[in-house]
Amino acid sequence: MGVTARELVARRGTFVLDVPTFEAGRAALLGPNGAGKTTLLLALHGLIPATGAVDRPARSASVFARPSVLRGSVLWNVATICEAVLDRGFGDARRRARAALGDVGLDTMIDTDARMLSTGQRQRLAIARALVVEPQALFLDEPFANVDADARPALRALIASYVERTNCDVVLATSFLADAVALCRAAVILRDGRVTHIGAIAALGTANDPYVRALLAEAAAVPLDRGGSSC
Amino acid sequence: MTGIAALSVAVSAVATLVAAAFAIPGALWIVHGRSRLRTALLVLFTAGLGLPPVAVGLAVAFTFWRSGPLGSWDLLYTPAAMAIAQTIIIFPLIGTLGVIALRTSDTTLSMQLAGLGVPRSRRFLLLAREVAPGLAAALLAGFGRALAEVGAAQMTGGNIEGQTRVLTTATMLSVGKAEFGGAFSFVAVLLGIMAVAAGIAMALQRRWA
Repeated sequence: MGVTARELVARRGTFVLDVPTFEAGRAALLGPNGAGKTTLLLALHGLIPATGAVDRPARSASVFARPSVLRGSVLWNVATICEAVLDRGFGDARRRARAALGDVGLDTMIDTDARMLSTGQRQRLAIARALVVEPQALFLDEPFANVDADARPALRALIASYVERTNCDVVLATSFLADAVALCRAAVILRDGRVTHIGAIAALGTANDPYVRALLAEAAAVPLDRGGSSC
Repeated sequence: MTGIAALSVAVSAVATLVAAAFAIPGALWIVHGRSRLRTALLVLFTAGLGLPPVAVGLAVAFTFWRSGPLGSWDLLYTPAAMAIAQTIIIFPLIGTLGVIALRTSDTTLSMQLAGLGVPRSRRFLLLAREVAPGLAAALLAGFGRALAEVGAAQMTGGNIEGQTRVLTTATMLSVGKAEFGGAFSFVAVLLGIMAVAAGIAMALQRRWA
């Protein structure tokens, strides 16, 4: 199936995104800040006005870097989305929501007012409510940006296992190589609103792009010891 | 007393509903619209907060005076004229508080709900639920101001017994005649009505919270 687009043009203020062709089943959008990752993600998902033709699965769900929540408990937040999208009874929706919240590690907080959650906890909620609607395509914008480092691998694995199990499409905008490797096969490099490179993530080393070189270099070596001084 | 209290509530309630019917869509337009004219309406709302009720009363009384522009409508000294004046007085208040209530809501929430595949009609209901407490407070403030207002009510209603006498104008008259017992009971009922209105608004807010 996959997410495809032709002659896609979207404008946000003075910024212009211009993508003549896009076709990917599981694509990571990479590039420096302001390259157009989020704009392309939103345009592919049909959430901002854009011209051109976009084709995507009927049921899709998104996770944003700064998730918005509704007034009400964490459980209600997820259950009401499940009920609205899947058209289930509220009892069934609650049961599914409870399971989804357990998967993201929020099972002890289901009665908490969702507006009281930290940004990282909101992101967990956002992941739960995205998976609970059983999407055929996931549009993820820095989905783990504020999640604790020790919880990130589990959440990545959770989404990856859903994607494998359901053969769900993924479009992921990220600044973290680990996210891209865990969830995607293709890498799309953006710069100034244009795609400069499309290729397999495994072959990212051959991309001739300064941002990608920096990304790979950073991933290869995170120096924990800056040398010299002691505590 | 019952008739006076009922007329007070009726005139204030009608004024609140009519003012809200124009002010809330206006507030929505200010927060979500694109036209530059939005600023003009926001200025009107904000400046109107300080609009003296006597000025509104004067304008409405003059307009409906027998020899005035709309004298032939025969509205002066009727509850309708009072409601028109109260509507004009509270329109900016409901509009301004409405703008504040709508602005505090998360601007990307609608997009995020759409991104999860929530149908448009359900999105509208969920967003309305988010702003409902703030809008309820705006309506309560408008109702309270209309209920408490006396100058415009006097000028446009005339305080005619059995026809346009409301709690505030009745209180004025009682004090003028040094009938403090009556004045105190009018004020007590006025405060009671406001307490009930506030209780209803708070119960709704708690339900939505």
